[in-house]
Amino acid sequence: MNRPLSTNRAPAPRAASPSPLTLLVLTNMRQAWRRLLTIRQQSRLLTALIVLFLGGYATLAFAIFYKGLRFAGSFPGLGAVLIERMLFLLFAFLFGLLLLSNLIISYTNLFRNRETSFLLPLPIPWASIFRWKFIESALLASWAFLFLIAPMLAAYGLTQGVPWHFYAATLGFLGLFIMLPAVAGSWLAVNLARFLDRRAFQIAALFVASSLLAATAIWLKTDPITDEQLETRVLVVLDRLLSRTHFALFPLLPSYWLSAGVQQWAEGALGAALFFALVLLSHVLFFGTLALTRMGNAFYAAVSMVQSRGSAMNRWPWFRAWQQRLDRHARSTGWLERALDRARPIPVDIRAVLLKDMRLFWRDTTQWGQTLVLFGLLGVYFLNLRHFSQQLTSPFWVFLVSYLNLGACALNLATLTTRFVYPQFSLEGKRLWIVGMAPLGLRRLLLAKFALTSTLSLALTAGLIILSCRMLMLAWDRTFYLTVAITVMTFTLNGLAVGLGALHPNFKEDNPSKIVSGFGGTFCLVLSFLYIVASVVLLALGSPWTRSGEPGGFGLLPSWAAFVVLSAAVGWLPLRLSLRRINQFEM
Amino acid sequence: MIELIHLVKRFGDLVAVNAVDLVVPRGQFFALLGPNAAGKTTTVKILAGLMKPTSGAARIAGYDVQEQSLEARRRIAYVPDFPFLYDKLTPWEFIRFTGQLFQMPEERIAAGARELVARFNLEPYLAKPIEALSHGTRQRIVIVSALLHAPEVVVLDEPMVGLDPHHARVLKDILKERALAGMTVFVSTHQLSVAEEMADRIGIMHEGQLIAVGTRDELRRQSGTSGALEQTFLTLTRQEANLREEHPDSAGAPASHSQ
Repeated sequence: MNRPLSTNRAPAPRAASPSPLTLLVLTNMRQAWRRLLTIRQQSRLLTALIVLFLGGYATLAFAIFYKGLRFAGSFPGLGAVLIERMLFLLFAFLFGLLLLSNLIISYTNLFRNRETSFLLPLPIPWASIFRWKFIESALLASWAFLFLIAPMLAAYGLTQGVPWHFYAATLGFLGLFIMLPAVAGSWLAVNLARFLDRRAFQIAALFVASSLLAATAIWLKTDPITDEQLETRVLVVLDRLLSRTHFALFPLLPSYWLSAGVQQWAEGALGAALFFALVLLSHVLFFGTLALTRMGNAFYAAVSMVQSRGSAMNRWPWFRAWQQRLDRHARSTGWLERALDRARPIPVDIRAVLLKDMRLFWRDTTQWGQTLVLFGLLGVYFLNLRHFSQQLTSPFWVFLVSYLNLGACALNLATLTTRFVYPQFSLEGKRLWIVGMAPLGLRRLLLAKFALTSTLSLALTAGLIILSCRMLMLAWDRTFYLTVAITVMTFTLNGLAVGLGALHPNFKEDNPSKIVSGFGGTFCLVLSFLYIVASVVLLALGSPWTRSGEPGGFGLLPSWAAFVVLSAAVGWLPLRLSLRRINQFEM
Repeated sequence: MIELIHLVKRFGDLVAVNAVDLVVPRGQFFALLGPNAAGKTTTVKILAGLMKPTSGAARIAGYDVQEQSLEARRRIAYVPDFPFLYDKLTPWEFIRFTGQLFQMPEERIAAGARELVARFNLEPYLAKPIEALSHGTRQRIVIVSALLHAPEVVVLDEPMVGLDPHHARVLKDILKERALAGMTVFVSTHQLSVAEEMADRIGIMHEGQLIAVGTRDELRRQSGTSGALEQTFLTLTRQEANLREEHPDSAGAPASHSQ
């Protein structure tokens, strides 16, 4: 390291300091590099797990995409159309996801970030601070996108027999493409911060998410197709199918320019591909220049507004009157508290913890937002199952789909338990001065958290599984069977997250996503995933209803015994160990 | 020099800073006192350019913090109560980075840092990652970085928190020396001893208004007390609260405070 302070070595004089933006980029790159080097100090098991997971995803995704594209391409005359539409659809959805990701990350990075507060009083132009935060947010929001689609593009290239330069050109296309949602996301973030306070943002987010879910449910509703139509009027059926996905071909969508460019390059139409590259480039240059040169003042105005905690909506009398009404009722007990008060058998201190956790859940937009999106989309898919009335007359498909739905529901839950339940004990650690010192005790606190998260998530998972069974028109005994299975899985996944969270606490971090990214969080996610796969396979193998739909019963007891033992090992054991550990916990 | 000209900051219906007029001349050590939620941090944040005033203006060395923001920020140093540091950098890298942001030549960074690092006993920690350092050591790094570019105005929010008595003394000495050399010091604090020992002038804020400004003796006279600053402070804030209770409309008429 350079140590110019030592008396024997004078620093080399320099003509001028680098620009603030260059300095910020270099300093943060140095930080990131050192963070990367700390991998050497972390558990080898964790490193191996992460590498295995990433490598496993890349291999599996490539294999699935390769086989899928080969299969789709094998339909004479239709293959090319299907592959083209899949490509356009994929990028259209990814554009939407990238936009959302950029919006969330930009908002956090611009307005909830301590580096921003550190930089604002320094003599750095606001535009330079915005530029740096824009670059950082775009990278954070987009790296996963590139990782996710790399196997797909590799598979696409291989199935199309493209030359080597296709991959280089695709990288260029992607580099240009990710800039557009980044610009739009940061612009949206600045304006949302400027004009909406937390409550108004929650209401708007709820409204937009519900509208999107409803629109998706209506728009992607499937049309019933008879076997006769499938055999005699394939093109008409295909046309109807594709018409629903026609929005991905809207020529003003950036995803259209990307998909068309990639597709044209793969087909060797370099001139047309270059045209779409230029369309992308011109938009990136135009909007990028606007964002990088004109957003500084708007960003500062938004920062000031966020710091001021007030909302621009205060200018409207109705909003002020509404806020005043809320203030007047600040001391009154809400409906949630009144409902919990009726649960007399629950001791008052436990009720207080439950109420606090539920309030924090509702007031943290990220938590309920992600829950709503994940389970909402699954609910929409389950509701649409009723339209597959022809295909679902086959006992095999009904059997398969019912177990796939069980797995999907549990996977959704595992994502949420790892993301939100696992870090709860670590976050509580910051408040140990109040919660840990109270007569309540950490053991009861942990059990209360387990009971609350299990009960609330069970309402969602069991509800969804019953919905899935109803849509598949399963008999009540099979519905009951799958509901019991998801109940056991819900308690297990919550037990695992609560238990591992207490066994691997991280009291240094305030940020739950950083707590999750440690060893315990990664281990929790991997173990949850493996548990779900093993459980679904065990339950399917031991199902009393065979794949032909008739009751069989062969292997029911052994498979359930194995499922229960596995659930106890994965869910109950970590919870028990953590309860024992916190008895000797030193604050 | 610091000038607050009829400064107002509203958060919705709440008036956090209410028509504050204040001039802190060059080379003066000014301490801003006040009970919780008096508006001290908001005033400091406006001075540091972290938020816009609803109306009025704040000037640093003659430059408007909003209108001539860059010029003002070149002349100010701000030490927040919970400072940010890049955890993976070393203290020397952080200090150098701050100097470069102020466009200081390398030799000036090295010369400026040499003295401050020595006085705050940071030499043994210069090559260690910041994440491994104690709260007090981090606070010393922040102060060195803030004073490195020899600002004309330094604004400190609770600067003594985390510092041991020895380094608190070092900081007080440095601030006093620099004030004598012409730097304006603006400290927002709850520690009355700091104000009592160090400040040339003291301001007391209460519910967004600057209810009293003056030297210790002037404040004592105003409050009608003769004891320690604590007594003066409590009497003045209590008087103001009583006045507001009796005359909610007329209490605390904003006054201009210069010199």
